[in-house]
Amino acid sequence: MKIKVLIPITLLGTFSWGQKSEDIIPKDAVTVFSLNNISILQKVSMDELVSYDFMTELQSELFDGSTQGKTLKDAGIDFNQKMNIFYGKNSEFEISGFTFGITDKNKLFDVFDDFDRMESLVPGTEYYNNYFNHLMIQGNVGLLIRVDTDQEKLTEITDSIWVARGFELPWSSEDEYYDEEMDHYDNEIPIDDPAMNEDGDEVEEIIEEDVEETPPAVDEMNDMFKNYYELRDSIESEYSHKRLLLITEEIFVKKQNLKAIDPRLANQLTHTSDGIFYLDNSRNFKNTNSLFYLQAAFPDLYRDLNDLYTGNVVLGDIVLNQKTIDLKIEANYGERLGSIYQELNSAKFDKNVLKYIPKNNTGFFTYQINLKKGYEKAYQVIMPILSDEKDARISANVLTIELLNDFINTDEVFNTYKGSMFGTFNGIKRVKTKRIEFFYDEETFEYGEKEIEAEEDMPIFTLGFTTARPDIPNKILKHMSRITSQFKNMGDYWVYEDAILNSIPLYMINKNGLFIFTNDEDLAKNHSNGYGTESLTGKLVKNAAKSGSIYGYINLGDMINRLPESILNDHRFNVLASMRGKKGEIEVISSKTTRQKTTYNLTYSFDGTFDNAGKYLLDLVNTAYLVSTKR
Amino acid sequence: MRILLFGLLIFTLSSCVDIFDEIILHADGSGTYKYTINMSASKVKINSILALDSVDGKRVPKLPEIKEKIELYRSKLEEKEGISNVKVEANYDDFIFKISCNFDNVTDLQNGILEIVKEESKDKNDPAFDENWLSWDGKTLIRTTPNFQSVIRKLKAEDQEKLKEGKYISVSRFDKTVTKCDNGQAQISPTKTAVLIKSSTYSVATNPSALKNTITVAN
Repeated sequence: MKIKVLIPITLLGTFSWGQKSEDIIPKDAVTVFSLNNISILQKVSMDELVSYDFMTELQSELFDGSTQGKTLKDAGIDFNQKMNIFYGKNSEFEISGFTFGITDKNKLFDVFDDFDRMESLVPGTEYYNNYFNHLMIQGNVGLLIRVDTDQEKLTEITDSIWVARGFELPWSSEDEYYDEEMDHYDNEIPIDDPAMNEDGDEVEEIIEEDVEETPPAVDEMNDMFKNYYELRDSIESEYSHKRLLLITEEIFVKKQNLKAIDPRLANQLTHTSDGIFYLDNSRNFKNTNSLFYLQAAFPDLYRDLNDLYTGNVVLGDIVLNQKTIDLKIEANYGERLGSIYQELNSAKFDKNVLKYIPKNNTGFFTYQINLKKGYEKAYQVIMPILSDEKDARISANVLTIELLNDFINTDEVFNTYKGSMFGTFNGIKRVKTKRIEFFYDEETFEYGEKEIEAEEDMPIFTLGFTTARPDIPNKILKHMSRITSQFKNMGDYWVYEDAILNSIPLYMINKNGLFIFTNDEDLAKNHSNGYGTESLTGKLVKNAAKSGSIYGYINLGDMINRLPESILNDHRFNVLASMRGKKGEIEVISSKTTRQKTTYNLTYSFDGTFDNAGKYLLDLVNTAYLVSTKR
Repeated sequence: MRILLFGLLIFTLSSCVDIFDEIILHADGSGTYKYTINMSASKVKINSILALDSVDGKRVPKLPEIKEKIELYRSKLEEKEGISNVKVEANYDDFIFKISCNFDNVTDLQNGILEIVKEESKDKNDPAFDENWLSWDGKTLIRTTPNFQSVIRKLKAEDQEKLKEGKYISVSRFDKTVTKCDNGQAQISPTKTAVLIKSSTYSVATNPSALKNTITVAN
């Protein structure tokens, strides 16, 4: 009898202790960064680690001071195991967290000292909790996870229960709603970081909602009933807990994890590079809330479109070298979508663009696609899917597309806009603007206004498109110049006064098979046929010409540190801020596109050597996280 | 205070602001008040900020919202006792705003503005509501400006620096001859019927006494 009991326990123990950190990544994770060589992170302080954006979902515990002056090495983390950072979102819930190996649990809880041991959710695991963060330990691996119910879904459920109980929704009064809207620009947007107050001081996370103006469900004296937000909190808590239980069971009991169900991640995890990443775009497509209507109204069409996106996964490797960091990114797709990309990316490199890229640029890209071939392939692949749908509206749309395709001369449309383009960033220049100045009469003290010339710092951009029909943009520009004096034909170029930010002229050059927009007066006035000997030469030209559909080059020191913050929204600013202070160059080269994949090689070469490779790696992960989560 | 926060928004949107304020005071105490804000020197910056959703964690209002808010304040001022003919000229190309109104007496003008500020404010007991900016006894006009120090302190150092480039010109006009004024920076016009003080927008915003002036006119 004893033997019968001992065997499963021994097997369970062996199995648990043999488990690796990558075996407990939830299957709902859409993005995964896995750091193989985390020994390089030994020098990274915990304070630095928790300041990264990808850690913000878990920060309430980590910002409480227990991390002060400690490194990852002090936290009992196993450096022989991978550290896997994950994020996932679907129409039901959002998860984020990381998995890691553990060598010393006591040290771990010196850092995670606010976690309280709770009753295990599933047998064979230890469960610790701190507010919204959950730490599960099984054997020598840990999963730190946060689970949030989708806010739209939560509102929907709460509203339905609230209304079913016979109460009005808190915002049902239009006037109140209007006032709240108008007040927004008086009030600061709530700080995203719940652990910091306005002054940047650390505070305990506030988990209570402001319920001051919430109408009570019933008589306020009757505390048996909850108000709207209390009801919402209860539902959120219950849903998130149930979801956590499901995820825990999947991972630790049923052994269903992302690595087990997705061989592409499993294969990527076998790579010996310093880090790998995985982004399942097909699930991002399926989980988009906006497709809910499509799914409900046209299930067949939704299924077919899903099929089209199947296999759309981005996989990558990060390799740290002495003076470079290499990123190899593979964009994989299914056969049908791949066939469209293959046609789209079959364009030849347009050498004319090189004339307009100056030697002293701080960044540029070239992008060549064959829009005509891509359109024809897309027509061939997508139209049968749409044509199969019996719905009258879709059928009418199919007819419209077919008629347009027959009546319009698509050859000439795609001759005008071929799809290929290039762009350059030429740094910051002082550009001329106009402003109104007040003056007053010394005798009467009456004031007057006069227009004077002024100068502003402006980032200088150029964007050009390949065209085989320069007469078409010319026709449009001539028409524009007839209806507004702001459009002027200057011979070699056109100018549109006050086009940018209502203040700065935009120049248009229509020559050499290119239609170019720029705010660079020098390019328009002095180099409308290209920069000549001052144009780009050498290795970068060869690399751009050899590249597939995309080539990009950035001089980080010049570009990132000089790009004006005021032209960026908060998300782009965060991405930029995450790269500030870096020097060196980034080069992106793409391979020829096949039906299965396109490969991109990104090389980040920097000045000198890195003192702390781990920090560079985390900076890169953070930038990739910000880009992929699109917050 | 929302109006003060609206002021902060103006300062945030445009670090270089020229202001021209003018009061025309007749012998019977009635008159006209004109206030002109010129932000054209910062129009590139304003346009680039207006194109964003938020800056430094603060939501950037859309142009229609700003227009709506300005119209709201105009109509509120029009309704105030002793105030009439309220006009707002807004030039959104160069960001120049001109506000003018007639008043029966300076007390009505001050009360009208204060009441709007109070209506819009969450803190009804703000000590700023007890400040007296204007008084006229038929012979002497005492002028000062509201205290914007708390608003200015919230600006970034670089924006505060830019604000120092902005000009503030304050003019007081009378039907009668000015006999004296006590602000050392003030100039009396050759016709002796107007007094002008020139300062920087930053000085006026941080030092409420920069424009403080007691002007006496002949009987």
